[in-house]
Amino acid sequence: MRFSLAIALILAPLMAQEKPATDPFADLNPAPPAEDRAPQYSWLARFFKQNFAFREELMSEFTSDVAGTYASRQSAGFEVQKKFSTETSTVAGFDFQGRFVRRDGYNPVLNDMEGATRAGWRFEYHNLYVDLYNIANPLLGGTARGRNAGRFNFRAGHFYVPFGLNLQTDTHGTLLQLSNESNFGFERDWYTGFWGSINRHLNYDAYYLAGSGYDLKFRGQSGLAAVRLSLSSRYSSQYGLEGGVSSITGERLADNLPLRTRRIGVDGRYRHPAPGGTLTFTTELSAGRDARDTVSMDLQQAEYLRASRRWGIATQFRRFSRANVGATASVLSEFTWYFRNDVAGSNSHWLKLNVERQIQNFPGPPQTIVALQYYWYR
Amino acid sequence: MTRIFILFALLAAARPQQMLGAIGCTLSNPAEDLKYLYPTMTTFKEELMEFPKLKDGAAAFQGLRARLGSDLDPIYETYETPYTVYSVFQGATKIGIVHGVNVPGKGGVIQVFVSADPKTGEIRSFFFQRLESPAARQLRSKEFRAQFTGLTLADFYKHDYYAAAQPGAKADKVGAIQPPALDPAGKHDYDASLRGLRKNLILLDYFVYGRRFEPFFERAQQARKQ
Repeated sequence: MRFSLAIALILAPLMAQEKPATDPFADLNPAPPAEDRAPQYSWLARFFKQNFAFREELMSEFTSDVAGTYASRQSAGFEVQKKFSTETSTVAGFDFQGRFVRRDGYNPVLNDMEGATRAGWRFEYHNLYVDLYNIANPLLGGTARGRNAGRFNFRAGHFYVPFGLNLQTDTHGTLLQLSNESNFGFERDWYTGFWGSINRHLNYDAYYLAGSGYDLKFRGQSGLAAVRLSLSSRYSSQYGLEGGVSSITGERLADNLPLRTRRIGVDGRYRHPAPGGTLTFTTELSAGRDARDTVSMDLQQAEYLRASRRWGIATQFRRFSRANVGATASVLSEFTWYFRNDVAGSNSHWLKLNVERQIQNFPGPPQTIVALQYYWYR
Repeated sequence: MTRIFILFALLAAARPQQMLGAIGCTLSNPAEDLKYLYPTMTTFKEELMEFPKLKDGAAAFQGLRARLGSDLDPIYETYETPYTVYSVFQGATKIGIVHGVNVPGKGGVIQVFVSADPKTGEIRSFFFQRLESPAARQLRSKEFRAQFTGLTLADFYKHDYYAAAQPGAKADKVGAIQPPALDPAGKHDYDASLRGLRKNLILLDYFVYGRRFEPFFERAQQARKQ
């Protein structure tokens, strides 16, 4: 008896090891598809629930020059984004940005060049445009639709001037701006035209612009024709590289008078991993004429963003020169602490300190302007 | 004016830091990318997904951490983070689902995209859009990414059990994945990429597949406890 028990005790673990392990998932299948259980909404509920985004924005900005001229700009704003779809495709998009702004005093900071004439309370719009996607689809068969997807899109409204990197850069809330405001007197304009991809490597933009800037108005100007060719986004994703060439020609309004305008420009941005974060270099170069006056614009920027996306530093050099008038040039430095920092720009929260040292200025002597900005967007 | 300036500056600096961030992830060139993934595509549709707009979105978000098996990043993975799901059609037939997520890598953002079968949820292809990493070349290699073709979220949930209770089990498809040859500096981003892929599949299960793979999560939890 004792002998049998001993044998059994010795063999038991061995027998347990030989027994094949049970698979706890052997009898399990995925639950049935849930499509039938999808909730049915009314058209109104669908409008606000499906592809609809309402974002809120708060901005508090204080600026001062070394002479002690203080200025305050406080605003509460919003952005509405909506995309419209059929059962099988997204056919249109809409974007509107609005802000209620209170200004007291004024300093000419880059992100508020239009504010000089807007003291006190003001409602402002920024983006206000409609996109129609793949507008050739009704004329195309199935295979051709697929082949031309993304190629023929239509845009109408108020958006970034399609010159340089601004079309692909959201500067709605930032203190540092790109070169179009200096170059044309406005960074957004009213326009209509087409955009899309040419192939996997190149995108195009081709528009007619009113040339009036913030307000849509015609004071005898013929408007502007703008064309831009740019590297497709795969270069940004895979190599950190963006870039393009732009051309703009026609008439715009300057001080409410038509001004013959021509520009051609080249731009690039390169993002590269650096110790503990990412370095980004940006350049925008352009040249042309305002009437008979030769003009040129030079913008260079370097940024470092910590991998945690918690803080970043940036510096920018910018110079706009008019042969018969003079030049304005500045060096700017900026530190940003991010409470939230979204790659796609849909969720931002930061505190920025920016110092601009003007090297050349016209009219008036060069100044130093300090800006402190609090920004919240969600 | 000076007092107001100082007051607002102090208020701004004192804003609570728990109001933290979110990152949406969209294809940067959707028409071209989707055409490349699905050469027979005729049209595609974008759908914005956000937890606050989901039925029981708060509970679903709470459950994300458990299903992911690690803490959520306060910058990249918040309740308000928007996501975009692309549905790809050939005529009236849905032939694919494409979805991307952002995860924090050592050098910055890692954007992990998946194209999946609209019926079974199986991975058709897995790719990186943006990958700021010293291991970018190795992680982007076709050989490495091809190993994930045909896997589902169920395989990731099962892996949790097999890794703990039956290491090396033949049924553990995720455990059988061979990592690319990486130096130690790239290990973090390899782990982050796998985590991103898993997060992507969990979110797709929430947004598109009506939690089809939930039974596998529950069974894996039970089995591990036993």
